Amino acid sequence: MRKMKTAAFAATVVGALTLAACSSGGSSDNASEEPDTSGGTAANELTFMFRGGDYDKLAYETAIDAFEAETGAKVKMIITDADQYATKLQAAIAGNKVPDVFYIEPGKMMGYVYAGVLADLTDYVDQATIDNIWDFGTQAYRFNTETGARGQDGDPLYGLPKDVGPFGFGYNTVLFDKLGLEHPSADEPLTFDEFVALAKDLTVDMDGDGELDHWGTGLNVTWNSQAFIWGAGADWISEDQKTVTVDTPEFADALQWFADLGLVEGVTPSAEQAQTLDTYQRWMAGEIGFFPVAPWDIATYNEKAAADPENFGYDVIPYPVANEGDDWSTWLGSLGIAVSENSANKELAAQLATYLSTDLEAQKILAENKVQIPNLIDYATGEWIETDAPAAGWPANTKIFLEIAESKGRPLPGIWTYTPEWYDNFWIGIENVVDNGSQTAADFLAAKQPEMQMLLDQSWVSADQAKAQG
Amino acid sequence: MATTAPPADATATRWSKEDAKAARKANRKRHRNENAWAAAFMAAPVIGWVAFLLFPMGFSIYASMTNWNGLGNMTFVGFDNYVRLVQDPYFWKALWNTVFYMIGIPIGLAISLALALALSRKIRGRTFFRTVYYIPVISSLAAVAILWQWAYNGDFGLVNQALDLVGIDGPNWLMDPTWSKPALIIMAVWKGLGYSTLLYLAAVQAVPRSLYEAAALDGASGWKRFTKITWPMVQPVTFFLVVTNIIGGSMIFTEINIMTPTGGPSWSTASLVWYVWNQAFRNLQMGYATAMALVLGILVLIVTIIQFRINRANDFSID
Repeated sequence: MRKMKTAAFAATVVGALTLAACSSGGSSDNASEEPDTSGGTAANELTFMFRGGDYDKLAYETAIDAFEAETGAKVKMIITDADQYATKLQAAIAGNKVPDVFYIEPGKMMGYVYAGVLADLTDYVDQATIDNIWDFGTQAYRFNTETGARGQDGDPLYGLPKDVGPFGFGYNTVLFDKLGLEHPSADEPLTFDEFVALAKDLTVDMDGDGELDHWGTGLNVTWNSQAFIWGAGADWISEDQKTVTVDTPEFADALQWFADLGLVEGVTPSAEQAQTLDTYQRWMAGEIGFFPVAPWDIATYNEKAAADPENFGYDVIPYPVANEGDDWSTWLGSLGIAVSENSANKELAAQLATYLSTDLEAQKILAENKVQIPNLIDYATGEWIETDAPAAGWPANTKIFLEIAESKGRPLPGIWTYTPEWYDNFWIGIENVVDNGSQTAADFLAAKQPEMQMLLDQSWVSADQAKAQG
Repeated sequence: MATTAPPADATATRWSKEDAKAARKANRKRHRNENAWAAAFMAAPVIGWVAFLLFPMGFSIYASMTNWNGLGNMTFVGFDNYVRLVQDPYFWKALWNTVFYMIGIPIGLAISLALALALSRKIRGRTFFRTVYYIPVISSLAAVAILWQWAYNGDFGLVNQALDLVGIDGPNWLMDPTWSKPALIIMAVWKGLGYSTLLYLAAVQAVPRSLYEAAALDGASGWKRFTKITWPMVQPVTFFLVVTNIIGGSMIFTEINIMTPTGGPSWSTASLVWYVWNQAFRNLQMGYATAMALVLGILVLIVTIIQFRINRANDFSID
């Protein structure tokens, strides 16, 4: 009994201590098995830490081979699981084992820059190279430490894009044909009214058993509502990133319209069926008319289209807008490649980052395997869109992805601020508006705005403190 | 004569004193070596304790009193993080969710004891069942969480399909604020069942048969034998499991992060450790996150001390 008590007490103490110690981010499980992330110390040694799949690894091995042959450098690659990358990078930084070159999310950049972790690459990357990358690809990594402004051309550059990820919209071509509907235009966005009318046409009971077999759409509010909110002229935040603007009438109207797709119009699967996985599965089963299409989906969608051509085929279209003539937009993501400020070989590391971001062969591998669209404008708008993309099986309207990368894409709200907590807060309780309709969009937003504003203010205070602390 | 020759005793005493002195010297030398070795052996765990427990603990206490993003320098802010924590509704919500998850502990223990009692009998396929119940324990938590996420799918999930067979229209488990926490509790109970059952099985089998025989002779019913013999005799295991399960339950994170990565509908599944992790790594509030972690650690410690006090009244030996 005494032994049992002792064991229990020891377990308690260790548990309590571990709880406290683990939050300091210094340790991880199996620490002894972790690769050494420290930057290279010899004149030509570099360490590159990243996350990704097999094709990312293949592409980077190709680029790194070429880089090593050209510069005589030796590059050690450290690949981690995607869900553990951020934690491991932060632990590496806390442990003063910062790799020379590593991935960085644009939303986390400010803290890293203020802490002196990221090198300013402005002087290491020539203007011609920057001009040949999508504007957002470099803007995402520009940061003015004096004003706190993000995304402004001419400000210091703290990273280069691993990719730019246009979150496009698409439709099931087979279903449209089956129902005898005219395909939406690739050039002109549908208006909200046209979209609802088409969605109603797509919501049908095909076999007459009283159960719906197809639905117009089935969109996850967290990832799919941005384009519709923006398409109605509303936004989450003011241009100076200081004020939360969700309490405007146009925002409320757009969110209510989005919620009413399911609650009033009935063109989405019911709330019980509308779990994300379900709508994705239904889209893949050919039961959904409109659904998001992004570059990272292409390989899977192509496989499905080849395996089930009677039910599934797809293409890309612009996101709908509130009124005819309005400008459409959607969100554009990115992951960056940064260089450690304390790298012993900063110039060589910057050269590697540029190589990884812009090496033509690597870009070809990634695009051919449908991992991403090319970062290089001249290749993407020339050889790739004309011959390589169609040959590799990219959809007919792939040019829309390039359009998003060029001008229609916007960063997700929260990317330009020190932390995204204020934006994350928006989604807490959103199901009361879109799933069960127990709250109107206007009431929800009126209650949300002060809470989000408080968190945004707090984010700016934290940014100022981080800036002062260094 | 008697005065010139020293008495045999005195000579013996003188010699023995010298011998003793030499022996003490030799002993001291030998002990010095032994002491050095002893100190070296003791140093290893002590150094480990200082390096891996005392220092991180001290560091955490200090970090909890700083404004620190986990990347740059720390700024001492005293108890500001603790004041913020008291005023933070999401801290309390996450703490409440974490406490709610503890409902699974007595449920899990009751099922485990029942299973242990069943498996301690000579039934067909006993080894098979023991193996089956233990498989979840050794399975990857991440993999298990993904499987349960599918099983809980409101439309296609196995759970609702099974409920449908008996005429029950199952809820949309992970998307419904009412059912999301029970869903996670069910999964946690299922995952931990094998371990608790194993410990209970060992305890049940260690109960002397003579006690049951004596009780049977006295005419005790099966229920009496369970409440008066089995239950008290397995109480140390129950106590151990309650304590360790509370510690484990307070650290619930992986399954929440995988099954409800945004904290569930209306934040209904967000546990305190999940919130700590988000504040530390997503929102770069390492100082604040550390303060929350320390408070959780202290709460667990207090609960355990109370348990020890309560348990003392029912102290029992199974030796």
